[in-house]
Amino acid sequence: MSGLSLSHEPVSGVAHGKLAMWAFLASEIMFFSGFFGAFIVLRNSNLDVFSASAAELNKWLALVNTIVLIGSSLTMALSILQLQKGNVKLFRLFMGLTILCGLIFLVVKTVEYSGKFHHVLDEHEIMHLRNGVPPNPDALLPGINPSTNVFFAFYFLMTGFHAIHVIAGLIPMVFMFVKSFTKGGYNHPVKVESLGLYWHFVDLVWIFLFPILYLIFPAH
Amino acid sequence: MASTHQHDDAHDHQKDYIKVIMWLLIFTALTVAAALDWIPASWGDYGNKLHIGIGLLIAFAKAAMVVYIFMHIKFDQKFIRLFIGIPLFLFSVMVFAFTALESFY
Repeated sequence: MSGLSLSHEPVSGVAHGKLAMWAFLASEIMFFSGFFGAFIVLRNSNLDVFSASAAELNKWLALVNTIVLIGSSLTMALSILQLQKGNVKLFRLFMGLTILCGLIFLVVKTVEYSGKFHHVLDEHEIMHLRNGVPPNPDALLPGINPSTNVFFAFYFLMTGFHAIHVIAGLIPMVFMFVKSFTKGGYNHPVKVESLGLYWHFVDLVWIFLFPILYLIFPAH
Repeated sequence: MASTHQHDDAHDHQKDYIKVIMWLLIFTALTVAAALDWIPASWGDYGNKLHIGIGLLIAFAKAAMVVYIFMHIKFDQKFIRLFIGIPLFLFSVMVFAFTALESFY
């Protein structure tokens, strides 16, 4: 820290970038609230279809993803701590681990999605998931897809938006990680802190998606 | 000292983080266990509600820990709490209200 800083001292005592991130996250909560609200209302009026559809989801892959994402939140918090302490090596290590966890999450999600897309519905499933209406044979994706029923429309929309958030978080992380290897290094703790807030929010959304999509349906 | 305020709390957060991750993992295990088929079918709709209620309560407990410790709400200026507090409060009211609406179907 140099003795003389000409940058503005925020009146609030909170760095502007961080405050802006909080405002953005408040709007993000509202963005996801719309999905959750609509999901719950539609769930109540289509309970049979919803529980039959949820039974098709792979709980255990989702559990792996939950653990991976919670772990990445920890490594993110630790990387911020290390950068604040000026320990670049450990910052790099924890940031690298966070990126790795984000990538593992996306790989597992891809496995889950492609499993759904390649899943051919049998008679029983057509009956329970689509009220007996056979899926369109000319559809772009033959298996279970967003047009299968209202549950899967929400499933793909909510987890899809969440996955986009994961990707959006990974891009600046990779930038910071790579930049830390250059001669100038990377020494912007507030920026990493703001990104950390965003990353914890992504974790937060998954904490709700996991029980709501995968767990709370009565056994069928 | 806006640029150095993060060093003011000499308290090392690392221990808090480790504690939180342990609790998050325990709660994750609990929520998966709660989702197993342990409620007798004879409880009918009440069993169903209990099932959802436990799932949601655990999710909110996990969320509170992430917000409080990982997102530093516990350590930062108090007014930041409004940013996440109000939307999360409205969100939780909505979730519980809509879930309770199920009684009318």
